[in-house]
Amino acid sequence: MKKSAILVFAGLMFVTVLTGCSKTENAITSFDDAKNAKIGVLTGSTGEAIAAAKFPNAQVKSFDDVMDSVAAMKSGQLDAVIVAFPTAIQISKLNPEFWYLPEPLQNEDTAIALKKGNDDLLATLNNIIAELKADGTLESMKNRWFKADLSPYKEMNITLPTEGKLLKIGVSAAREPFSFVDKNGKVTGHDTELARIISAKLQRPVEFSDMKFMALIPALQSGKVDMIVSGMTATDERRKSVDFTQPYFANAQVLFVKKTSVASTTSLSFFKSIANSFHSNIIQEERYLLILDGLKTTVVISVLATVFGTLLGALVCFMRMSKKSVLNLPAKIYISILRGTPVLVVLMLIFYVVFASVNIDPVPVAIIAFGMNFAAYVSEIFRTGIEGVDKGQIEAGIAMGFSGVRTFIYIVLPQTARRILPVYKGEFVSLVKMTSIVGYIAVQDLTKASDIVRSRTFDAFFPLVMVAILYFLISWFLMQSLEYVERITDPKFKRRKMSNA
Amino acid sequence: MIKVEHLSKKFGDLVVLRDITIEIRKGEVISIIGPSGTGKSTFLRCLNLLDRPSSGSIYIDGIDILDPKADVPKVRQKMNMVFQSFNLFSHLTSLENLTIGQTKLLGMSKKDAKHKSMELLKLVGLAEKADSFPDELSGGQKQRVAIARCLAMDPEIILFDEPTSALDPTMVSEVLSVIRRLAKDGMTMAIVTHEMDFARDVSNRVLYMDEGLIYEEGTPQQIFENPQKERTMAFINRIRSLNYHISSPDYDLYALNAEIEIFCEKQILPRKTRHNVLLLVEEMLQIYNPFLHSTILDMKLAYSEKKESLELVFENTGEAINPLDKKRLPDELGLRIINNLAESIIYQREDNKNRLTLMMRL
Repeated sequence: MKKSAILVFAGLMFVTVLTGCSKTENAITSFDDAKNAKIGVLTGSTGEAIAAAKFPNAQVKSFDDVMDSVAAMKSGQLDAVIVAFPTAIQISKLNPEFWYLPEPLQNEDTAIALKKGNDDLLATLNNIIAELKADGTLESMKNRWFKADLSPYKEMNITLPTEGKLLKIGVSAAREPFSFVDKNGKVTGHDTELARIISAKLQRPVEFSDMKFMALIPALQSGKVDMIVSGMTATDERRKSVDFTQPYFANAQVLFVKKTSVASTTSLSFFKSIANSFHSNIIQEERYLLILDGLKTTVVISVLATVFGTLLGALVCFMRMSKKSVLNLPAKIYISILRGTPVLVVLMLIFYVVFASVNIDPVPVAIIAFGMNFAAYVSEIFRTGIEGVDKGQIEAGIAMGFSGVRTFIYIVLPQTARRILPVYKGEFVSLVKMTSIVGYIAVQDLTKASDIVRSRTFDAFFPLVMVAILYFLISWFLMQSLEYVERITDPKFKRRKMSNA
Repeated sequence: MIKVEHLSKKFGDLVVLRDITIEIRKGEVISIIGPSGTGKSTFLRCLNLLDRPSSGSIYIDGIDILDPKADVPKVRQKMNMVFQSFNLFSHLTSLENLTIGQTKLLGMSKKDAKHKSMELLKLVGLAEKADSFPDELSGGQKQRVAIARCLAMDPEIILFDEPTSALDPTMVSEVLSVIRRLAKDGMTMAIVTHEMDFARDVSNRVLYMDEGLIYEEGTPQQIFENPQKERTMAFINRIRSLNYHISSPDYDLYALNAEIEIFCEKQILPRKTRHNVLLLVEEMLQIYNPFLHSTILDMKLAYSEKKESLELVFENTGEAINPLDKKRLPDELGLRIINNLAESIIYQREDNKNRLTLMMRL
């Protein structure tokens, strides 16, 4: 144990040293400099099109979240990132070594997206936005949220309705200051405030679904959310699939780059910087609570998906082993489809297609999706285990007068359990790690929690390493419980215990 | 107690049991013998429906167990089975192998079951192995535990399916003596076995099975000392034979010699005997040579392990002639060699065939 702790620590040091020494130093001061640069864009954002149009010779890399692209720029893998200017301001607040070129790449209109054909709601929203523009509310919001210093945001007091039809808002809460998760784990920000104002005006209680930016439009189309208020630019392409209100914010995409002369950041000692990092990523704004919540969600999903998957797997295994093709054919098809499909796709299919029109909590959906995937794998593990039991012993049980079912329970099952546990454990650990993708359907698990922290601190190292350690610990603890089961199912265990006593 | 009528069993196109009718009475010990692959084990497995018969009926205490309404598990409790490969439950100790059926099927309390099981383990001499797992026991010990496991269910009959075939020769006797003891205590048993001496002194009735039938049945004395039918005789005397068919004077003598050599080698006959057999066959064929263009000759070489005798039989069609008739032979040299090698020579005329039977000294 001690030895492995040293190994882990040495590994961390190594990573830190690697990320510390950035590679490229050719600073970008104009669009011309960026011609052949490595440019990061956000998947599904307008940055993709801009990069293709303005920097045809550049190497363009897509990232799901802003903080990932910033982390890449920090480690020297990118020269520039195309982002909206409020985001650029936000990042440079925390990372003084970055800034953005003042000349905008493209001016854009930020608007609320609605499912097509919702003309009544669209008209109402347009009226509300016009009203807000006229009475100066939008201007006041802009001043309060898009500011260059780190002082706390002043939120508007809005009395939210509690009764009425639920208004479901899709947000990607990893884009401060448009929408982000505050220290209370609440979604907040410029756009979120707008959504709350709308909620108050419509007299409908509001509910936010936090998901990946690129998952927003599918969620809107499948009816998971009623509208998207998440700094979304009204592009022509998006207009093909959704309707946009009139703009509520004049946005611009800018090129976010490294400063020419890096004002030598007071070089802190290694331990000091670790301590700082720990403080800003864990202690500040009580971010550990967010992480703990995520941890809880991950454990709940892992454990329940394992239980559900094991039961379903047993059923599939029973069907698969049946001699009737009515039973074994569907089981065979089920196994090959589930094993041949990425679990992320299954997860999104279940959430956005199967339960499209049902208002369902995404956690049970995740449990179902991972359970189904787990079932496909463990059913085959079960089958191998059952088929491995000596046929002669089954015959002996039958000949003794046990019915088929009781032979299975008393003779086959105890031997199978012991035989399959080592493989089952491995499958279980992969399941725990696999749950890290539930962020796609707006579940705040451990990985998502670390994403949220990273989106606020733009520090890749600490949250990622911490999450890695936490995943290891979860797997380790859950593994211990399975190992206990493995020990007690060893028939010789009881005897050893007695002879020791 | 058990009445079997016109039982047959097919696996696909393969007919294993043709038509078996038999009655087993209480207290009887029945041995079932016969060559491999004649359906002995299948017959036993049909009795407790481990293999479902294709047709026929089985009555146990007057109840037709092939009736779909019959409670088969209940019936099986009354006739437990001992397997060739022991089939002990590998996740349970010897003792638990015995108690599981008593507690789960007979509804005995754990304490009673344990007490009774210990008694039974004592009976088979394995009380000190009560806490051992099957993989810690020798083959003979495993089989004795398996027998005790059967007894634990208080069966009315025990079916033994080649209980000693998978055992090391040194362990056979420990298992057989346990079975002998059960026989003495009046247990009803049906035993498929290849241990002839055991079958002879333990059973009151012997069934010789061949070709999917009960070919011959009787007391051990009748079957072992005075079998009536040809196949029974061959089996009891452990006769193995080589047949060769000669239909023209141009037969392949070398191929024939090679077959004879292989046969003798298989029966582990001494070199001298092998040499004598080859010489005798060659001389005989010399004498037969003039007949070969007009007749068909069948040669059979049979070795009885039990009697330690070698028999050479020649049969040919055609007119009634003894080829060894002195008057017919050009010289007496060949005949003298033959007389020297054979202990006895018998000529018979039967079914329009001439048969010469030569017994050889070993």
